Amino acid sequence: MSAPTYDVLIIGSGASGGMTAYNLTQKGLKCLMLDAGPPTDFDHDRVARHVYDLPYRGFGKPGRFPHVTQADEFNANAWADEKENPYTYDPGDPYYWVRVRRQGGKTLLWGRASWRLSDYEFKAKDHDGFGENWPISYSDLAPYYDQCEPLFHVSGRKEGLPQLPDGVFIEDTSTDSLSLTRFIQAAKKRGIPTTKPRRATGALASSVNLLLPAALATGNLTIVPNAVVRRLTVSKTNLINGADYIDRHSKRELHATARVVVVGASCLESTRILLNSGVANSSGVLGHYLFDQFYVKNTVQAIVPEALDGKGATNLMGGSGYIPRCVNLDTKKKDYIRGFSVDFGSGVTPNAKYFPLYGEALQKAIASHRGTGFDATTMGSVLPRFENFVSIDKTTTDAWGIPVLHIKARYTDNEFNMARDAMNMLDELCHDAGFEVLEKHDQMVPPGESIHELGTCRMGDNPKTSVLNKWNQSHDIKNLFVVDGSSFVVGGSQNPTLTILALAMRASDHMVLEMKAGNL
Amino acid sequence: MRRRHFVGAIPFLTVSPELLSQFLAGQAIPKLDATATDVVGAPVTRFFAAPQFAALRRLSDLVLPSIGGAPGALEAGVPEFLDFLVGQSLLPTKTLYRNGLQTLNLRATAKFAKTFSVLEDTQADAILSPLHQSWTYKEPADPFAVFLRHAKADILTATSNSREWVTAAQKNRGGGGGNGTYWLPAE
Repeated sequence: MSAPTYDVLIIGSGASGGMTAYNLTQKGLKCLMLDAGPPTDFDHDRVARHVYDLPYRGFGKPGRFPHVTQADEFNANAWADEKENPYTYDPGDPYYWVRVRRQGGKTLLWGRASWRLSDYEFKAKDHDGFGENWPISYSDLAPYYDQCEPLFHVSGRKEGLPQLPDGVFIEDTSTDSLSLTRFIQAAKKRGIPTTKPRRATGALASSVNLLLPAALATGNLTIVPNAVVRRLTVSKTNLINGADYIDRHSKRELHATARVVVVGASCLESTRILLNSGVANSSGVLGHYLFDQFYVKNTVQAIVPEALDGKGATNLMGGSGYIPRCVNLDTKKKDYIRGFSVDFGSGVTPNAKYFPLYGEALQKAIASHRGTGFDATTMGSVLPRFENFVSIDKTTTDAWGIPVLHIKARYTDNEFNMARDAMNMLDELCHDAGFEVLEKHDQMVPPGESIHELGTCRMGDNPKTSVLNKWNQSHDIKNLFVVDGSSFVVGGSQNPTLTILALAMRASDHMVLEMKAGNL
Repeated sequence: MRRRHFVGAIPFLTVSPELLSQFLAGQAIPKLDATATDVVGAPVTRFFAAPQFAALRRLSDLVLPSIGGAPGALEAGVPEFLDFLVGQSLLPTKTLYRNGLQTLNLRATAKFAKTFSVLEDTQADAILSPLHQSWTYKEPADPFAVFLRHAKADILTATSNSREWVTAAQKNRGGGGGNGTYWLPAE
């Protein structure tokens, strides 16, 4: 039996794979999408439950997710099973690799924060001399951001900040609560900008409702769930001619054929596929320059004293905001380069752990502090370093017999110093705003936990120091594209999904032109 | 070959999909009411030794007693639930709890010549002094303080996520709570 040959094989159905399918199918290309997980059908996948009806009262099955702190008992089954999908790391350098293996990928569960990168990231080396620049500039990607934001119904407020370019937003005209206004004014006095959150809106903001239905409607997309890709296959003419994949249930091995292959399986899974295939690595940097964004969760936890005992004005508490990168722009910090961003919010009730009490006294304190909280979380830029990398661990395989990744990542003084500076800045701002700080800290979560892993298959103009060219196309194999976060050169402190969407759209536009020109 | 002929002769295998769906549509299967396992049966405790479990009961009652008629940790069956949960947990958690509860009894005996479970409130408060220290992101150096920190959090969560607590809260507030969207296991 002969299998059909498609124009394009797309591996992965999340932000990057979904956007690639969305774009290519509407331009008339016949696409096959292989996804490692089951299909997503909310009518069958999810039910309303009381927390007390869950087997572990919301705690979750002990030990099931040692690295997925985001997993709770309600959503545990949505995350990739760590026993089926293992990976390894050196015991002294734990890495928290958080994955979703089902149709839609991490767009089913993402935080929806949608920020553009700027030339402070695209041309970071020009600014501070470290590492490499992207092979593209902000102006190259801006037209694609312009198209992605309306697709994902991104709301926000325009500010005219060079480090955080404005976009095509649903305008956020909401007023700030009095407590947020105090914090924003305190920041302003120190020259620190703030803005409204920029988020994808709607009941669901995922490739499964915003990208894949439109692609399927063209009649040009075939989606195959439960297809775990083992490796890409190479023709005698040194082109990728398809992929070997395994049925998730039966473990039967099959092969799919296409003229062009797009890998968008998520940052580290894509690199794993390439490494297991032994392709696209003439530079020797495939797998290297792994980075992410470090998180310091609840860097400060404060309260607004006037809100105690429910006595505050009705508009005293509530709302949220964002501090974009505000350091190392026009001036330079002594002990670190690049910068951090901050999510802040007002109106939560501080966790019981912050009160050194128990029993009735604790319950009274919680009641007194209900809705009085102000908290801020830091997200910091991590430097891309050659020595942070992934490689194939031939001693360990996943449930389908495919060798897994060994991940080596460690933060350095640049990140530690940045985190300390962020903590001190937020502490000062809270005091300036008249808040009472209950606790402050600069302890980062382990590398990977932010779920913003980036790099390992980076773009660049030089084939000797990069894997992909400026079109997300392999330097080595012209019909191979990698369109997810693995292609990042520098990440900044902004959440990366919007940039991944824009890159995938831009790469697939280029693909169409090249295919029409007969170059692919 | 003979078997193949036999299988082919079974009439329902030759029914068209349309006829089959019509047949099934007329055979609506009623949904039967069912009751959760923990509603009808009393929990059996297996993990903690009797003195440890007695200390856990006292600690649970101290951390979250019944206040103003609302269910506390004991009414919510928290000690029994934690016996189950910790018993299912990895070794570090098991060790943390066992050693912590044992320390409660050891310190109570050393200071008041009684086990923790029968201490007066003021006596127990002296043993629980680490809970009066301000919370810091970095865990305390003292393993007993670490245990108390974790136990406090677990007792509070196990209570507020219990059927008893949620039902009482819904009655008081007249609204929902304690609900969520549960992802079923993947096929």
